[in-house]
Amino acid sequence: MTDTTTRPTGSETDIKGPGYRVWFDLPARTLHFEGVLRLSTSEYKPIEDLLDGVLQASPTLALRMTELQFLNSSGINMLYKFAIAARKKGETEIKVHGSSTIPWQGKSLPNLKKFLPAIVIALD
Amino acid sequence: MDGIIGEYREPTDAGPRVTLVFYPGAFPVRWNQCSVAADFFAEYFVEVSESELTEEAERRDFIGSVGYVLNELIENAVKFCAGGTVVIEAGVETGEFVVVVSNQIATTTVDGLRVKFAELLDGDPADLLMQRVEENAANPELTTSGLGFLTMLSDYKARLGWRFDPAPGNPDNALLKTTARLQVKSA
Repeated sequence: MTDTTTRPTGSETDIKGPGYRVWFDLPARTLHFEGVLRLSTSEYKPIEDLLDGVLQASPTLALRMTELQFLNSSGINMLYKFAIAARKKGETEIKVHGSSTIPWQGKSLPNLKKFLPAIVIALD
Repeated sequence: MDGIIGEYREPTDAGPRVTLVFYPGAFPVRWNQCSVAADFFAEYFVEVSESELTEEAERRDFIGSVGYVLNELIENAVKFCAGGTVVIEAGVETGEFVVVVSNQIATTTVDGLRVKFAELLDGDPADLLMQRVEENAANPELTTSGLGFLTMLSDYKARLGWRFDPAPGNPDNALLKTTARLQVKSA
């Protein structure tokens, strides 16, 4: 019997495509982003649904970006919109783990704080 | 229809230069191919001696910034191309990476684009970016994020310019050239 109470519903929890993978580690409440994400806005829909699902299921969440080498502007849009959704939901504890050796992260991740002031951003 | 918006500058013979031509009229270009083309320019120009990039952190920053900006420009060109070729010409000169991406667009879209580009350069990019994301969040049906140029300006400090010309041999189209410049070392 699968426990569906804390699992995101209506979305895949392991999304793979050419050169990328986004998956949810349920026990650790961590979403992992890996590879190169340069998709069109509509192609981000499954990942957007996964983000929405995990946000609705739990207020505590980590996003691990240390293996995400590239993210295009449509992906950055998805990430910032997620921060806005978390702000609107309220009482969330979200932490983003990034890497200072991946250039886009140092440039674009800090903007997350503008949309969700309580977010914690840790760049290794 | 002729006209220039922003800081328009094409690469010259002052430094090493590479031109790549897509012929998407004959075959569709997928976004993965835009990504590969962007990475090619980033990895090629990090190696030219004029870039003077020896430190590992500087090289990484250059590849990340050039790869990001070019990928956005090529995605735009391929997405909005109304026929003809997509041409990418890039070079490094006097401490700057300079690129111009050319594609044809329908003449009817020129006036709207002019207004849009002028607005991008008029405001504070960080404010415009925040505003745009809030709008995107409020309107989930939007199919384009509109964040490409804004992130280039705000996060990458790119200097952008556009030029409109008549498209050769096609009165229904205009030729749009988009330029971006990045400091090689402050990337």
